[in-house]
Amino acid sequence: MAKTKETTSIEAQLKRLEEIANSLDRGELTIDEQLKIYEEGMQLANASREYLLSAELKIKELGGVSEDESVED
Amino acid sequence: MNPETDSQTVSQLTYHIRTLLEDGIGNVFVTGELSNYKQHSSGHRYFTLKDSDAQISCVMWRSRTLGFQPEDGMKVLITGKLTVYPQHGKYQIDCTSLRPHGVGDLHAAFEALKKKLSALGWFDTDRKRSLPDFPRSVGIATSATGAALHDMISTIGRRFPAVQVVFRPTVVQGNNASADIVQAIKDLERQQVDVIIIGRGGGSLEDLWCFNEENVARAVFESSIPIISAVGHETDFTISDFVADYRAATPTAAAEAVTPYTVREIASVLRGYQDSFTTSITLSVEALQDTVEMFLDGRALRRIIERLNNRVQRVDELEEKIGAGLRKQIQKRLNILESFSQTSLLHIRHSIQRTASKVEHLTALLQSHHPLTPLRKGFAIISSNGVVYGAKTNLVPGTEVTIMRQHETADATIHTVNKTETISE
Repeated sequence: MAKTKETTSIEAQLKRLEEIANSLDRGELTIDEQLKIYEEGMQLANASREYLLSAELKIKELGGVSEDESVED
Repeated sequence: MNPETDSQTVSQLTYHIRTLLEDGIGNVFVTGELSNYKQHSSGHRYFTLKDSDAQISCVMWRSRTLGFQPEDGMKVLITGKLTVYPQHGKYQIDCTSLRPHGVGDLHAAFEALKKKLSALGWFDTDRKRSLPDFPRSVGIATSATGAALHDMISTIGRRFPAVQVVFRPTVVQGNNASADIVQAIKDLERQQVDVIIIGRGGGSLEDLWCFNEENVARAVFESSIPIISAVGHETDFTISDFVADYRAATPTAAAEAVTPYTVREIASVLRGYQDSFTTSITLSVEALQDTVEMFLDGRALRRIIERLNNRVQRVDELEEKIGAGLRKQIQKRLNILESFSQTSLLHIRHSIQRTASKVEHLTALLQSHHPLTPLRKGFAIISSNGVVYGAKTNLVPGTEVTIMRQHETADATIHTVNKTETISE
């Protein structure tokens, strides 16, 4: 089945952003490490936002009936 | 008979049929279920009387009095005369009276099945599954021609278009409907969608009847994927509503239930994360800057230990607060964002822009004030596992330490420790 990579990872992306926010809040990392995950977080958030705001609904139609049985009026 | 001379016109034949029916059958009393009841603007009433195997057209002229408000699905008793409507070539009953005749069979069947499945535990709330927050794909089983499909697709497209809709055109009315709904659920299960919506727009009890049949209830009950039942309007309840994991009052409400967060809300949450990242990194750089300044003016080691202790305490505090799930965090951030007025958002954005340029400035500054500057004067720093020994930390024999000098580091083990008088500055 066709699963879109971007949508599959929305939940994972939010989770990763939460981890980054927690790491930065804790302040346990060196400044270099902090700058590195800061950069990662900013890029991830930008990419996700861009994807979401430009996404278009995909519709796949399965075989089946195309019309209801007509009901007499 | 000579076809040329003995043939008759359509009207003549119809009149013959009419005479046969009116004289041969004439006045009748009939019980059945009322359906497709319509009162025309002329005041005449047209409807169909039916049971499980047959139906017959009826007309009741404006001049006949009616003692109640007929509704589709009611079981009724009519009095009238069988006749023919020549223009359409069909027979119909010209009703002289129409009155209710007990509770309709369908209502009784509905109540009976509801009672049975309830006793089996199929309606129990503890077996209902929760819906995904961010479904990748949504299966929809409904009519290809109804408004329900349009309502659902436009709602999903407006709220959260980053999803795939798998649509299975389905018969949702009439004799074949229940079997097709059962097959549609199976087809969508095979597609491994994350959630399935079955439904249709409003209608009479008999229009919605397929959703009250036991085979549909069983398919919903046995589905490996969470199912939303969205049949009719707010006030229509069907058996599948009771069995489904989630009952939506309308197809539009079902589409909202599978898209609990809109892309705009998530985009705001992402923006919120970015703001918090910028704030955090700015604070870190400023803290580092303070440390560098203290190194330079000699209070360094004493204050570093203090700061380390404070930081450990702060981490402990944060660890207690953290641990709530992702959903809670998202809700919190959404609430915070919503509570800000446009003005304060603008204000915050400006302040973040100011801090961001400060970070840039401080980072440049840091490079010119390296924290290890004292080493250039020949001092050494002793650390263990990355933790610098401060003035108040005692060395312990047997500890493995690292001695750091300007151009070299050495690994060493503390052999003995001798107390000395504090050397005053």
